[in-house]
Amino acid sequence: MEDFVGLLRRTGHIGPVSPIGPVSANADVPLTQATTILAFKFQGGVLVAGDRRATAGNTVVYDRADKVLEIDRHSIMAIAGVPATAWEMARVLEHSFQFFRRTQLQEMSVDGKVRALSQLLRDNFGAVLQGLGVVVPIFATYDSASEPSARLYFYDAMGAQFEVADYAATGSGSPAVRGILYYENNWGKKPLAKLSEDEAVTVALRALDTAAESDTATGGVDRNAKIFPVIKIVSREGITTLPEKKIAAVFKRSVA
Amino acid sequence: MTEEPYRWVEAIANRAEYIDTQLAAGSPIVALGYRDGILFLTLGRSHQKLFEIYDRIAMGAIGHPGDIERLRMAAIELASTEGFTRSAADVSLRRLAHYSLSPVLKTAFEQVYGAPYLARLLFAEIGAKQENDLFLRLDYDGAIATNNATFAQSRQDFGVLSGTRASAELMEKYLAAEYSTGATFERALKLALDAWMVGHLALGDAGIKELPGREKIVTQRKERLREAAIEAAVLERDEKISIRYRTLPEAELRASAGD
Repeated sequence: MEDFVGLLRRTGHIGPVSPIGPVSANADVPLTQATTILAFKFQGGVLVAGDRRATAGNTVVYDRADKVLEIDRHSIMAIAGVPATAWEMARVLEHSFQFFRRTQLQEMSVDGKVRALSQLLRDNFGAVLQGLGVVVPIFATYDSASEPSARLYFYDAMGAQFEVADYAATGSGSPAVRGILYYENNWGKKPLAKLSEDEAVTVALRALDTAAESDTATGGVDRNAKIFPVIKIVSREGITTLPEKKIAAVFKRSVA
Repeated sequence: MTEEPYRWVEAIANRAEYIDTQLAAGSPIVALGYRDGILFLTLGRSHQKLFEIYDRIAMGAIGHPGDIERLRMAAIELASTEGFTRSAADVSLRRLAHYSLSPVLKTAFEQVYGAPYLARLLFAEIGAKQENDLFLRLDYDGAIATNNATFAQSRQDFGVLSGTRASAELMEKYLAAEYSTGATFERALKLALDAWMVGHLALGDAGIKELPGREKIVTQRKERLREAAIEAAVLERDEKISIRYRTLPEAELRASAGD
C-alpha cells in the first residue's frame, strides 16, 4: 500500500531521495542547530516549548519563528534545524497522517507516526551530508490506544528515534536545558511528572531563559519586545496552545 | 463489432441496462444541509458507505465495493496532493468531479471491451454558509448532477443517491416539498430518515410510484430501524476547525431520532 510520501514522489510533487554520496573523513556534518526546544512530561500531559529566534550564521533573521508545530489533534513536532526543511517535513507529516486515516479508515498508530518521521529524516540525510537542511526534532503525542499515555521522542539527524521517560531537549542551547531538567527532576521540589501546569510553565521559561543567557542562537524571553516562547501542551483531550497572556503572567510572577 | 456505429450504441445501451440492474438494490443515501453542517445518512447492515475525502468533502457510494474503493482512492489522492501543494482552501469538489472523476468514469463506461465502474457516488462540500454548500452526484457513465438551480429545479440544499432513478427522483420530490433552509440538526436527521424510507419504498418493480402518506413513512421507519443499522456522518460548518468530517455514533443518532 502506497503511503503519502510515495504518492508525492510518484506524482512528482517532491523530488527523489538524494543519494548518500562519499563522505570524507574530515567532513563537517552539523549535528545540531541554532535553537532550543524542550519537552517534558508533567501532571497534565506533555509540555513542549521552543524559543522564537531564527538565525543565519550569526545574524538574527526573525524573532517570531514558531518551532512548535501541531501535526494532528494529538501530535506535536518541535523542530531544531534548517527551517525550510523542517517546516516542509512537518507539512508532509501532517498530510501523511491524514492521508492514512482517510484511505485506511483508521487512525495511524503511535508507532506508525513515530516511524513516519524517522523515515523523513532518513530520506533527508543525503542532503544533511552535503551540508544542507539538518533537522533534529522532538515528537510528542498522546496514545489513546490500549494504555492511554503521553509519549515523548527525540531524534538524531539520521532518523534514529529515542523514546524518553521524562524529558528531551535539542538545539544549540540544549546542554544548559538538559542540565536544568535533570536537576529539577532529581533534586527540585518535585519530579517533573508531578508538576502542575503553572509550575511546568515556570520550569520551561526558566530553562529557555538560561539557554539564551549563553547561546546567542536562542531567543529565550525578549523582555523589551515582549516576545515569549511558544508553549503547547498535549493531553488526552488534545493540544492546547497557551495564550501569550498566560505565559506573560507566569513569567512576571516567577521568572522575571 | 464496434467499428459499426449502431452496434456501438447498442453495446452501450446493453451495458447501461446491465449496470442499472446491478445497482438496483442499492440502499439510498441522503445528504442534507442544515444550519450547522451537512448530514450524510444511510441505513444498512453490510459495508461502510460513507467516507471522508478531504477537509471539507465527504462521499457516499453504492455499487461494487472494489469499484467504490478505486474511485474513493482516486478522489483522496487528487484532493490530498492538491491540498499539499497549494492549500486546503484550493481543493474544490467541482474540479475534483469535472476534471478528474467524470472523465475516468466516462472513458471506462464507453470502452466496451473493458470493465465499467459499477458505482454511483454522492459528494458534498461544506461552504461557509448554507447557500455555498455543494451537492454533486456522479453516475457510472460520468454524468454529473448538482444542487444548483437549473431550468428544471430551483437550488436545493440536499443531494440524494439511490439504486434506481425512480427512487432518487421520489426522494428529491419528497425533500423538495418538506425541506426548508436553516433546519436544526434534529429536524435534518428526521427528514433524512424519512427521505431514506421514501427512497427505500420506491426500489424494485413493486416499489411505490407516488409519495406515501405520513403514517406509512413513520410505521415503516420504525420497523426498518429495528433491523438495520444507521450509518451517518456530518461535515461541520465550523470555520475554526480544519477537518470537518465526523462520524456519528449510532446510539446518539437513535436518541436524537426519538426511536
